[in-house]
Amino acid sequence: MCDYCMEHGAGGKWYLNATHYSEEIVEKYNLREFLLEQYASFEQMAVRKVGGFSPVGMDYTFRMPIIGRVVKMLAERMLHSQKPPVNPFRPDGHIGQVVPLEDAEAILMHCAAEPIIEKNCMCRYMSRGVKEACCINFGVMSEIIDKLPRFVPEKEKYHLTRDEAVARFREHNAKGYIGTIWFGPFPYINNLCSCETPECAGIRPRVDFGIKSIYKAEYLLGLNETACHGCGACVAMCSFGALRMEAALGRPVIDADRCYGCGVCRHACSTGALFLVPRDRHPALAGKY
Amino acid sequence: MRRTRITVDYELCGDGVGVDPRACGRCLRTCEPAVFLLHQTIGALEEDPFDPTRWRVTPFWPSLCDRCRQCVSVCPRGAIEVRPKVRQQPRPAVSADA
Ligand code: SF4
Ligand code: SF4
Ligand code: SF4
Ligand code: SF4
Repeated sequence: MCDYCMEHGAGGKWYLNATHYSEEIVEKYNLREFLLEQYASFEQMAVRKVGGFSPVGMDYTFRMPIIGRVVKMLAERMLHSQKPPVNPFRPDGHIGQVVPLEDAEAILMHCAAEPIIEKNCMCRYMSRGVKEACCINFGVMSEIIDKLPRFVPEKEKYHLTRDEAVARFREHNAKGYIGTIWFGPFPYINNLCSCETPECAGIRPRVDFGIKSIYKAEYLLGLNETACHGCGACVAMCSFGALRMEAALGRPVIDADRCYGCGVCRHACSTGALFLVPRDRHPALAGKY
Repeated sequence: MRRTRITVDYELCGDGVGVDPRACGRCLRTCEPAVFLLHQTIGALEEDPFDPTRWRVTPFWPSLCDRCRQCVSVCPRGAIEVRPKVRQQPRPAVSADA
């Protein structure tokens, strides 16, 4: 897990620690002002210069052998920053992790600060120009979105009770959207997203360029071979290419190295053959987030 | 490394010239690898301060472009160009029949 959780409790799930959602943090770092400023110009953050360099076309630099590694390391350092948030125009301390349905439910029922809302996903808007209400926000983040009409869904009711939030998240998850929870900025947790790739700006750097912009889940997928009848429906659910039908075996095979542990493939399975196991139990992938 | 140069002519597409990319957005939706990004302007990306009323599309991830040219054909304004990027340094001269 993140350095923070390495230090604060082995194997602990940082996102189930309620202090990260607290009003105390909001006040300590003046996040009301900070987040309002950040979200007023959110879509523009991606194209702002960082340290004098324009990020537009930076992807070619990522692909260069030596310089690429250095630049990616710097980008990672920025995202993993645990310094007090100061610059709202940079994504410092914006790091997340994939969460399956069960953990998302635990977050929504026990940790998330009220009010809880569902806003238009900014990643889908920026990458596809579409507004889809599927991004669940908590606490001060919800207050801020109230003031920024472009994030407010037109049709859907957007202030949610805990139960409604769980129901909405479940709906997105069943569509194959990847559940993710984010610090924004560290140490405040305010976003429970339902992502798709390549649309998600937080997943793309990892999938396409190997930058740890998001951690894999605390889980890995497991398969009960006797329960599986080889329909192959699960394969289409996986956004990470971790499942493949193997004709010789008459069942899907899991590429554990590619599996992010999102668990959405389970929704496609009518026989209950798929389940999640703690990542820690895997001999080679334990600790590999 | 294969490089692609993708350009959007902001004289043809942009809030300032009466074509709001938020209303069109065809390039955003047609591109399989999602190369483009929709955002508020920082003017010419540098000097101009943040203007929340003006939006543009930027080819943000050119290295992921597969040169299908779908964006070029769907753009109603003909604002997009996709070309191989020419190398900066000349290749060393090698005789073909060496
Ligand atoms: S195989 Fe892993 S990454 Fe793919 S959908 Fe299933 S749990 Fe998610
Ligand atoms: S959906 Fe279930 S039954 Fe069908 S192939 Fe996948 S694991 Fe087997
Ligand atoms: S040429 Fe194809 S891949 Fe490249 S930007 Fe245009 S639509 Fe996307
Ligand atoms: S398709 Fe052309 S006109 Fe439409 S948003 Fe893209 S660049 Fe602008």
